Amino acid sequence: MNPVNFFLSGTWLNAVGWIALLTVPPMVVMLYFLKLKRQPLAVPSTYLWSRTVEDLHVNTIWQKLRKSLLLFLQLLLLALAIFACLRPGWQASRLTGDRFVFMIDNSASMSAVDILPSRLVHAKQKVIDYINEMRSGDVAMLISFSDRPDVLQPFTYNRHALREKVKRIRPTNQTSDLEGALRAAAGLAATGRSSNPEDSGDVQVAEAKPATLYIFTDGGLPEVTNFSPRNLNPIYVMIGQAEADNVSIATFTTSQHPEKDNETQAFARFEYHNTDSEAPPISLEAELFLDDNPDPIDYAPRIEVPVDGIAGVQFELRDLKTGILKLDIKRSDNLAIDNIAYAAVNLPRRSKVLLVTPNNEPLTFALNTQEVREIADISLQTPNILASKEHLAQAANATYDLIIYDQCAPTTMPNSNTLFIGRVPPTSQWSAGQAMTGPSIIDVDRLHPLTQLMDLGNVLIAEATEVKGPPGALDLISANAGTLFAVAPREGFEDAVLGMEIFASDETGETSINTDWPRRRSFPVFVMNVVKYLGGSRGVLATPSIKPGATMVIHTDGLTDEIRVENPQGTTTKLQRDSRNAFIYHTTETLGVYQVREGKSDDVTQRFAVNLFDSRESNIAVDAQIEIADEPIEGQAILIPARRELWKWILTIGLGVLLLEWYVYNRRVYL
Amino acid sequence: MLVQLERMELVSRKIFRGRMKGERRSQRKGQSVEFADFRSYVAGDDLRFIDWNLYARLDKLFLKLFLEEEDLHFHALIDASTSMDFGDPTKLHYAKQLAASLGFVGLCRADRVKIESLGSSGQHLGPILRGRHSMWRMLEYLENIEPGDNTPLVDGIKDFCLRNSGKGIFVLLTDLMDKSGYEAALRLLMAQHMDVYVIHLISPEEVNPDIKGDLQLVDCEDDDIAEVTVSRPLLDRYKQTLATFIDGARDFCNRRGMVYLLANTETPVEELVSKYLRQRGLVR
Repeated sequence: MNPVNFFLSGTWLNAVGWIALLTVPPMVVMLYFLKLKRQPLAVPSTYLWSRTVEDLHVNTIWQKLRKSLLLFLQLLLLALAIFACLRPGWQASRLTGDRFVFMIDNSASMSAVDILPSRLVHAKQKVIDYINEMRSGDVAMLISFSDRPDVLQPFTYNRHALREKVKRIRPTNQTSDLEGALRAAAGLAATGRSSNPEDSGDVQVAEAKPATLYIFTDGGLPEVTNFSPRNLNPIYVMIGQAEADNVSIATFTTSQHPEKDNETQAFARFEYHNTDSEAPPISLEAELFLDDNPDPIDYAPRIEVPVDGIAGVQFELRDLKTGILKLDIKRSDNLAIDNIAYAAVNLPRRSKVLLVTPNNEPLTFALNTQEVREIADISLQTPNILASKEHLAQAANATYDLIIYDQCAPTTMPNSNTLFIGRVPPTSQWSAGQAMTGPSIIDVDRLHPLTQLMDLGNVLIAEATEVKGPPGALDLISANAGTLFAVAPREGFEDAVLGMEIFASDETGETSINTDWPRRRSFPVFVMNVVKYLGGSRGVLATPSIKPGATMVIHTDGLTDEIRVENPQGTTTKLQRDSRNAFIYHTTETLGVYQVREGKSDDVTQRFAVNLFDSRESNIAVDAQIEIADEPIEGQAILIPARRELWKWILTIGLGVLLLEWYVYNRRVYL
Repeated sequence: MLVQLERMELVSRKIFRGRMKGERRSQRKGQSVEFADFRSYVAGDDLRFIDWNLYARLDKLFLKLFLEEEDLHFHALIDASTSMDFGDPTKLHYAKQLAASLGFVGLCRADRVKIESLGSSGQHLGPILRGRHSMWRMLEYLENIEPGDNTPLVDGIKDFCLRNSGKGIFVLLTDLMDKSGYEAALRLLMAQHMDVYVIHLISPEEVNPDIKGDLQLVDCEDDDIAEVTVSRPLLDRYKQTLATFIDGARDFCNRRGMVYLLANTETPVEELVSKYLRQRGLVR
């Protein structure tokens, strides 16, 4: 409270007003000395009356004052009224505007406990404080956001409803995405939604007017570029302390031992985030647990992690083929959820591949290698089958994970991934471009799983056709005259198209070699890549790990129509097969390993892990500013200054004094 | 009512000594035809009462005692201050009626009846009455008593006591509204060895005052002023004060052997005499 500003200057009271006001108390005192005009009444004797009222009899002025509680109460009432006229108050703060959007980050980093009990609880309390600051007639909307926004309360006047909705916000383990939340807020703020869209009788209370957007977050947000706040005025309210100190597990995977085929190993990578760049490296201990065994199966002592650096550790798992691994770093820091990571070691799953070709010896040979046979079941058919009802049914029922069309094409696209060799898919989106004679390959996308580890510089090609894919198609192999190999998504599947034949046959049935690629080392690598990537094979020990809240697509070996997914808390969800020959599982909020069972079987057929693995969430340092559409927004922890006044409370006390005076007036005989 | 009163008689709880032979047997031994007892002769006794027959038989001197027949002195003192002229009927009127009733009882029994108003020494004194035929004189005297003689209670009783030293029944009819207090006055009566009855008269208006508003209460005797703002708590407190006053008076009288009777002027006089005074033992 600033004593200088305690009384508001420049109020309506001028000098005359003050003089008039200050003369009232002496007048009240004077009135007390005036005799009340009383009606005379003769009584036989005042003897008893005098004894009754003798307490009220006063002789001197000072006795009168001393005994006159009523006078004191009246003077007190006047003093309170004058005090209220002075308009005492203090410097406080208030919200700007009359329409607000409160946006609360409930991502994983908001579970940090650098401010107790947690950042999210602190943010919620702050929002409730802000809601309490709202004046009558103000409207507000409430949105919580992590990787997706959740509009908890559209615009409403109802502060109680807002407070209740705030209390219901729960922390999540998910990452943050401000852009989605901003779009939701801007959309709702602009369209003038009613306070309760579910109530058809509700009138619209919020017009499309500018609104103040309060973002309660600790930062760590991806950049928002393609968004214009339009009529939103964003204010960033920083939650959390500027100093941060957190160690996280950034990666935890399992893989086959590169040298020993039957052995498995696990890798973990650790990150150390500290705002003090001068801090010494931290020394960690990590314990690896298997399934529910309370004793660790492996232990990594003294892992040195430098500030803002990483460190890795490797665990030898020997012949472990299946199980749930849990890695725990023995440290209690401000964010606990990234100190534990899970990995699932799955049973190998074989993909189902159909090769439809009139005759392609090199390709058939490449698919018959031991490496391919380990991960896939290969079926071989001639193009005649394409018209058969049985095949059409199999293609529609997604029996195969991958169908390779060599020198042929179906009439309708199957419900599986496809590879077309020397043909284009029978859809309008794919088309064959100009023919190329003796093209030379000039570029290969070595990062894509389909074309990784391939060197095509020594490949000779006789004839080829340029491939033109739909929008979003990736050009993986480019020749001097156009794209030779491209891949594009199609309703959950992927189609890869190779614009040249490997082993061509002409109209007379004569076969000829179109390229020497099968004789190069890159050809079996390409075939292996195709089976692995388009076949959907996870390999022997691949451990899928997704981020919390992400969607998991589950493929099964069997033809079961129903699977059951058990989350780490033991809750089981039944899933039905969708049109993509896969099961889609959404509720992956909990960290840990999820187990999949097929049909009515109780055997776990596969597992997947959900881990945070997000440097942005693990780096719990609070950003000084956030950027929205390349415009930095400085964090602020206070509201705009405003004056809080006391006169209403003083008048309320005055009213209480008035009531007391009335009581005393009626009971004064006893006082 | 007169018939009812004729059958009554005044009773004194104390041994009294009348001045004349009366109709009632006194508890004192004296001269009459009714034998009471014997006692041994002591020197100085009247020889006329020696039972010579007993002397002849026993050779001892015995005195024959006879019951004394005496008259009873009945005094009634009426407070005629201005405060008694209040109520409907006024307390003074009620006091006169009461005094007349008791006086008539006394006259019927040939007692010595004397009724006076308080502080009447300076004016005409109350007549001494005896016999039923004096009833009209008594009523005439009562008729002439006017309110307005604001003699303090203590002065009036002191004056009465100086003039009347005999024993008998003394009835004080007053409202006790004396600012100097009634205690000193009643103490004077104790010294008289009289059978004292204090009849405290009070009007219904005093018990439940029907007043409201901001009032200036003026004392009709001394023009003293009490300013009150009537409220329920004030009335409650007044009633509390009145009850304390009545209790104080009753207690004072009881402690000193006087009979206290609170008489509300609402109560009919005959009911008061036949019921309450009979209960108190003044009449039978």
